[in-house]
Amino acid sequence: MPDWKRLILERIAPLHLEPTGEAHLAEELAQHLEDCYREARSAGANDEEAYANVVAELDDLYPLREEIKLQGPATRYQAIPGRETRPAHFLDDLWQDVRYALRALRKSPAFALFVILTLGLGIGANTTVFTLINSLILNPLPVADTARLASLQTVGSHTTAKNAPLPLSYANLRDYQSRNAAFASLAGYTAPRIVTWQPAGPAQRMFAELVTGNYFATLGLKPFRGRFFLPEEDRVPGGPAVAVMNYASWQTLFGGSPDIIGKTLRINQIDFTVVGIAPPKFIGVNAVFGPDLWIPATMAERLLPNEMQNALSDRSKAVFTGVGRLKRGVSRAQAQADLTIIAASLARTDPSANEGHTALVGSLRDILFGSSESGFQPILFGSLALSMVVAIVLLIACSNVANLLLARSAIRRQEMGVRLAMGASRSRLLRQLLTESTLLGLLSGVAGLVIGYAALHLLLSALPGSANFFTPSLDTRVLGSALAVSLATGVLFGIVPALRYSRTGVAEALKAEAHTTGSSHSRAALGRILLTGQVAFSFLLLVTATLFLRSIGRAYEIDPGFQTKHLAVFSCNPGEAGYQRARTKSFYRDVRARVAQLPGVQSVSWSSNLPLWSRVVSGLEVEGRAARSRADKITTVVATVDLNYFETAGVKIESGRDFADSDREDSAPVAIVNQKLARDFWPGGNALGKRIRLPGQQQMREIVGIARTANYTSWGEPPQFCVYVPMEQNYADSMTLYIRSKGAPDSLMQPIESEIRTAGPEVLISSPRTGHEIVDNGLFQEKMGVTLLTVFGLLALGLASIGLYGILAYGVNQRKREIGLRMALGASQWKVAGLILKQGMSLVGIGALIGFAAALACGRLLSRALYGIGAADPVSLVAAALVLAVVALVACYLPARSASHIDPLSALREE
Amino acid sequence: MPPPDSEWKKGSAELLVLSLLEDQPRHGYDISKLIQIRSGGALRFHVTSLYPLLHRLEKEGWVEGLWVEKAELRRRRYYKLTPRGRQALRAKQESWKDFVALVSQVTGIEHA
Repeated sequence: MPDWKRLILERIAPLHLEPTGEAHLAEELAQHLEDCYREARSAGANDEEAYANVVAELDDLYPLREEIKLQGPATRYQAIPGRETRPAHFLDDLWQDVRYALRALRKSPAFALFVILTLGLGIGANTTVFTLINSLILNPLPVADTARLASLQTVGSHTTAKNAPLPLSYANLRDYQSRNAAFASLAGYTAPRIVTWQPAGPAQRMFAELVTGNYFATLGLKPFRGRFFLPEEDRVPGGPAVAVMNYASWQTLFGGSPDIIGKTLRINQIDFTVVGIAPPKFIGVNAVFGPDLWIPATMAERLLPNEMQNALSDRSKAVFTGVGRLKRGVSRAQAQADLTIIAASLARTDPSANEGHTALVGSLRDILFGSSESGFQPILFGSLALSMVVAIVLLIACSNVANLLLARSAIRRQEMGVRLAMGASRSRLLRQLLTESTLLGLLSGVAGLVIGYAALHLLLSALPGSANFFTPSLDTRVLGSALAVSLATGVLFGIVPALRYSRTGVAEALKAEAHTTGSSHSRAALGRILLTGQVAFSFLLLVTATLFLRSIGRAYEIDPGFQTKHLAVFSCNPGEAGYQRARTKSFYRDVRARVAQLPGVQSVSWSSNLPLWSRVVSGLEVEGRAARSRADKITTVVATVDLNYFETAGVKIESGRDFADSDREDSAPVAIVNQKLARDFWPGGNALGKRIRLPGQQQMREIVGIARTANYTSWGEPPQFCVYVPMEQNYADSMTLYIRSKGAPDSLMQPIESEIRTAGPEVLISSPRTGHEIVDNGLFQEKMGVTLLTVFGLLALGLASIGLYGILAYGVNQRKREIGLRMALGASQWKVAGLILKQGMSLVGIGALIGFAAALACGRLLSRALYGIGAADPVSLVAAALVLAVVALVACYLPARSASHIDPLSALREE
Repeated sequence: MPPPDSEWKKGSAELLVLSLLEDQPRHGYDISKLIQIRSGGALRFHVTSLYPLLHRLEKEGWVEGLWVEKAELRRRRYYKLTPRGRQALRAKQESWKDFVALVSQVTGIEHA
């Protein structure tokens, strides 16, 4: 006979019972097992079989542990596994709940799949947008202690209107550096400039940023490889040619080769030694776009002799933006006060450049995202709008799922009733239901991460890929937020139905059929409210998307003031290829002659400006007009153009004459101005023959022609001044070739490029594009926005219509008997279908009305981003309403049809 | 959901045990054999759930456990119904009848 008592004592030892209780229990159980054993033996089992049978009794120790280990008297035996929450049992119970929830989900896979997909789409959209926001706005600089970083720019001191801040001149920056007491370290940098890299193969375009020697130290960065600049490398103008490389450029251009340190790169005819690699993800003090190389500011004039002429000494040449680390305990306001005093003293010592200007100490955000004159920050605005849109999509998804759960409650009420009858407590039921919805939320979160990751890749592939752009990535913050959103969604869509279930009375639940009770009416009402909200939100998104779609359509119709249908442009930079003045000039002539001979080319010309990328200068003088102050400077676009420019670009000369062969270097200086400039300064219309002086030039120029005002810096911009000067009178070492083709320009691009290469093999050709591509690029941001809005708008509409379909189909199912009765009493199929349609479409109508009101309210916010249409554009509203109506009709039609096909006899028999 | 059988068994376990003790005190093995025999083998309690249940009923004051030593026989623990246990048994029998009635009403509606 086995020693049962010993066996039992071994088994229950981990329960750590009080010794007397343990002994008694062991004895009692031992006798029981012994009886079992005897019985088995006498029934004919051999020793082994009997032993195995008896020991099996001890397999499941769970109830024992439950009952005895805690010695707490429980009054009810619960139908749902587990007890009231006690800390020691929490994990056990949780595990049981999770297992139970998984079982429940396996039982209705279609429901689970629908929920996971719906929520997954919502969470995925949020993950995508949050990843962008996380990398772009929350975490744009991989730098420690950004709170102490501040920006330093120049701003007009007298103007009352909010002017956009301007950069600083190098000399002023140096003075601020040496004289301020607020910054522990103050650095400066320029915007990325295009330079020509001449490797062994063909010349390539690179972006370089000129920075002061303490730039990296100020930001608190450590080099990934090599070192940053030494103090002596930033002392002497034209000093040592060294460079620090962007990590991503190093990876893409040099495959991350470790022997890059000490290598030389030939940039603009100068051999630069690479001394270090910047840390990964650092693309400069800019959220979106950064350079390939950082080069000491003292190299400015050597690297870019034309563009940066006198940049190190001339205080009116403002190209540097300041970024500084404040001393501990110094606030931005204190720094502002300190620098205002220095600015005032600079204005006294150098009034010609500094009068009327003062220093502006701002936040890092001001220089990271860049703001327009009105302080409007498109990146921040866009991110905010996008995150609102995806939050709406998620809300719709949640309310959809909540609706579905409410509809399911009819089935599960009886299940809950049985459980209550078996003694389960309400709080246990509530916990069980919440576990179910949280589990669904988490599974959806996983689906959402996958969807979000895929969407992000799709989005990035639509961006112009380059090492210079920021790269959004999934990090712990994104994962954390996805987890938080999933948990919140689980609770959000689970709590209402759960509360409703668990309030069910036992008898009520068991007795009543769901559709005859009062509570099912309030449940249906809740469902309808959720649905109306969904329709309203989808309508709002649809209207917004349609507005932007229409706005883009309008934007393409905008007349930019130059022709785009037959236009092609190529930028060339002979200066950076080492060409001297004479060679450059002959290059320009040669290219013009060669390209003009190509079949299909109507005319050819050169201009210093790429369309929509014109440079704006400040300080134009108009003869006879006294400046009210030195700060009162006229800002204008200046374009240096070759003969035939106006014909080639399609810019009409309204009066006066075009430039001619006779306008030479040694003839009288002339200019053509645009209508905006002519009208503003000579309202009488007698601008011809008047004289102006360009900033930095000695002679006055006579106005010989007036050209139509065009768009110079952005698509659909408000009119701005422009002055054209003949190429012979204003040499530039980089120009853009304009070609007017007879037909579409696309087939000409290749032959033109090879002609340019023949004329100047060393010259870098950049930005070859057709007129159509120019417009596309000009509208890139808007198109991106519209695409995202349309995708999310349709997603919202799809979710809402599925919800609409679901609730109507469920309603039809619930009202089968009523419908059967109606039909038995003579209602026609049409009438029944009409009844259901009316019910559905009235919900849609109310939702659309609310959405309409919301759209009007939001429109005010959006109007600044729209071209040529108001926010209350009737066409957009009607179009969105039509789309909504069609989709909603389909969603309502299916349940209505099934209602009209109900067989009255079988429907009535069901009851 | 677990198979309904096990749930019914759990919910009705107290009722079963109390009923068996109504006429006379019994020991654990006796109780488990009776349940098994009377249910034709459909209901079976493992020791790990039966004894905890008995101990709980004892704690509730519905049954009383006593070690009894008889000549020639081993020491055994017998359980007998207390007056409070008898009351509880009555109440449980009533609510069980109600419950069965409700269930048949529901299932009756569904299958009529």
